[in-house]
Amino acid sequence: MPDLIHRPALTKEPLVGERIRLAPMPEGTLLEVRGPQAELPALEAAADAAGLVIRTNGPDQWFAISGQPMLRLDLPDIFSVTDQSHGRVRIAMEGAAVDDVLAKGMAVDLFDFKIGAATTALIGHITTHIARLDRDRFELTVLRSFAESLWHDLETMSAEFLDR
Amino acid sequence: MASLITCPHCGQRPKEEFAIKGAALARPAPDAPQGEWYDYVFLRTNPRGRYEEYWHHVSGCRRWLVVTRDTASHAVEDCRDAAERAPT
Ligand SMILES: [Zn+2]
Repeated sequence: MPDLIHRPALTKEPLVGERIRLAPMPEGTLLEVRGPQAELPALEAAADAAGLVIRTNGPDQWFAISGQPMLRLDLPDIFSVTDQSHGRVRIAMEGAAVDDVLAKGMAVDLFDFKIGAATTALIGHITTHIARLDRDRFELTVLRSFAESLWHDLETMSAEFLDR
Repeated sequence: MASLITCPHCGQRPKEEFAIKGAALARPAPDAPQGEWYDYVFLRTNPRGRYEEYWHHVSGCRRWLVVTRDTASHAVEDCRDAAERAPT
């Protein structure tokens, strides 16, 4: 059997401006988790032990994420897990202008969107999961087949801040 | 305007993020007469004014909601998770 070669869905060079930077993130492990909100501490403990971070994704729904591939998450039976590692792509977006750029395509009020907050929303016509990792840094998670289209939209939205 | 919907989970969002299923009606009993089921599936009142509908937050939390709105003014009176509300 021939060796399987990993080909990332989004093969883009980072876009760099003084106030905005855009880069594809490594396609590692991305698990969609469902379960009761009250059991979140158990999920967080298991994710921590597995080297995954948790992002909230609506009531009773989370993503467990890492840049490392093939991580395993052992959870109590009350949770259900769907492996989306090959189904979703993450894009890192950062810089002082990141709120201004995102506001062009999205209706979430970023003024009240605190560090650590995450939600799913439309960017243009593409459903995207957004998480604020720091004051000026976002992680955007999108269905694999929409990744290039979202990148194109983000590039257009960032254009005024890019050095070219 | 009903173009902004305040999702109980996600906050204020544009209507483009939602899919509308239609009137939120009480579901008949499984053994209800065929006529009652026919009305439930096909018959709608189409009122001018207050109306309760199922909305799905497709591009958000993916929860089913019940939105109470006015079909004439589009004012939204209420929006809650469908799990919290038995249809009347
Ligand atoms: Zn919602």
